Amino acid sequence: MSKDDFPLIGLWGKRSLVFNFALMNIKIRYKGTYLGLFWTALEPLLLFVLLYVVFTGIRTSNKEDFAIYLLIGIILHHTFARGTQGGMMSLRENISILSSINIKRELFPVTTTVTASLLLLVEVAVFLGFMPFVEFIPEATIILLPIVLFLLFFLILGVSYFLSVINAFTRDVQPLWGIIVMALFFITPIFWYIDEASGILLDIHNINPLGQLVEIAHKVIFGEIPHIDDWLYVSAWIFGIFFVGKMVFNKLEKNILEKM
Amino acid sequence: MDSLILENVSKIFDSIKSKGKFGPDKNKVLPKKNDKFVALENISFRVPQGEIFGIIGNNGSGKTTLLRTIAGIYHQNQGKITINGRMAPLLNIGTGFNAELVAKENIVLSGMLSGLSKSKIKSKVDEILEFSELKEFENMKLKHYSSGMRARLAFATAIQINPDILLVDEILSVGDYSFRKKSYAAFYAFKKNKKTILYVSHNLDAMAKLCDRILLLRHGKMIMLGNPKEVIEKHKEIIGDEDISKN
Repeated sequence: MSKDDFPLIGLWGKRSLVFNFALMNIKIRYKGTYLGLFWTALEPLLLFVLLYVVFTGIRTSNKEDFAIYLLIGIILHHTFARGTQGGMMSLRENISILSSINIKRELFPVTTTVTASLLLLVEVAVFLGFMPFVEFIPEATIILLPIVLFLLFFLILGVSYFLSVINAFTRDVQPLWGIIVMALFFITPIFWYIDEASGILLDIHNINPLGQLVEIAHKVIFGEIPHIDDWLYVSAWIFGIFFVGKMVFNKLEKNILEKM
Repeated sequence: MDSLILENVSKIFDSIKSKGKFGPDKNKVLPKKNDKFVALENISFRVPQGEIFGIIGNNGSGKTTLLRTIAGIYHQNQGKITINGRMAPLLNIGTGFNAELVAKENIVLSGMLSGLSKSKIKSKVDEILEFSELKEFENMKLKHYSSGMRARLAFATAIQINPDILLVDEILSVGDYSFRKKSYAAFYAFKKNKKTILYVSHNLDAMAKLCDRILLLRHGKMIMLGNPKEVIEKHKEIIGDEDISKN
């Protein structure tokens, strides 16, 4: 086993490259737009307005602070969607680099994950700035939110390891993943509450790491300290995906250039 | 000392013929066991330090595959490659160049991808723009550059990496006469500093002048290795034979 077999460690020496690459990605993403980085905040906010109008329209009894509940879920899901979709394309979009220099291929999914995480920080700042508008004062437990973001980083990276190499072999994963990301929006407690759920939805929720993570985020924002078992359960899922993802990546990455 | 030693290097691709309208860009039908494409077969040679080593051959003879295998981008199926020194491949026009970024941003990104630190490549930006004669276009997005301008920028960036071994794949041909002259001068300066260059090109006249030795590849096999004039002669002879047999 060399240090390159482990995730991230082999890239430590290239961290400056990763961050510069990630910043360039953000720059390129918003080139040619008038609103630029503002779009990062606008995308989830517009989705939020739409869903808020729809759900407060069809629900008879609204829970308190539904706006805050909804917005954080949208932001976390949106980041997951953006991060994994970027990760999925990360090797394919950089074929020209891969075919002209010998570079650690892990660089690409890591870079897209860092890009998504930087944008997440912008969105979280918007989220915090949004609170006064709905007269919401968070509980002190919100200081645990960074742990949630930290876990989300590893979830996105773990999934990106998988998707990036599989996408190199077959593009079928692209439409499939689009469907899965959409499905995740519905089976994750973003616009519904756990105590409303039952049957198969609850069963699915129990094995959905993104759903577990969103639930923890809700708890810390609304003043509840999640039980240690909740943390351990979601961490086991996420780091399981992360390490298995890297193992699959290591196994498949050698021949990807010839397959693309 | 030898900069580069290849011993019996072979590279075999799975058949990459595309069948059917749909499906990925490879076989939908499972490849048969013997459905392989031998891109390189038993390549062995040594390149001493400070040599300009040319590689010629028709399209599809394995030149680029050979450079990529040496660069570690492809993994050889068989054989051994020994490299002594830091190597910089210059195989595409502008590694990591992005059309939406301006010249300076591209230089920094490309340099960092090639292993230079950010401060190091930043300090070289002016020199690179100077060499590539693109100072007045430094704030122009790369998508508005001509292919010649891109090639100049790419070459100027790559030589700043200052490797011990430089692999160059037919990228100078897009530059104009004066830039090519400058590039060849850079090659000679490299050589003087005891650096090694592997150079692939179709420009046989330039190759004859520039290279110390030339390798002729054909269908992945070594046909001849030695004196530039003799190898080029042989190359022309083979092409000539083919033309006649076609008629």
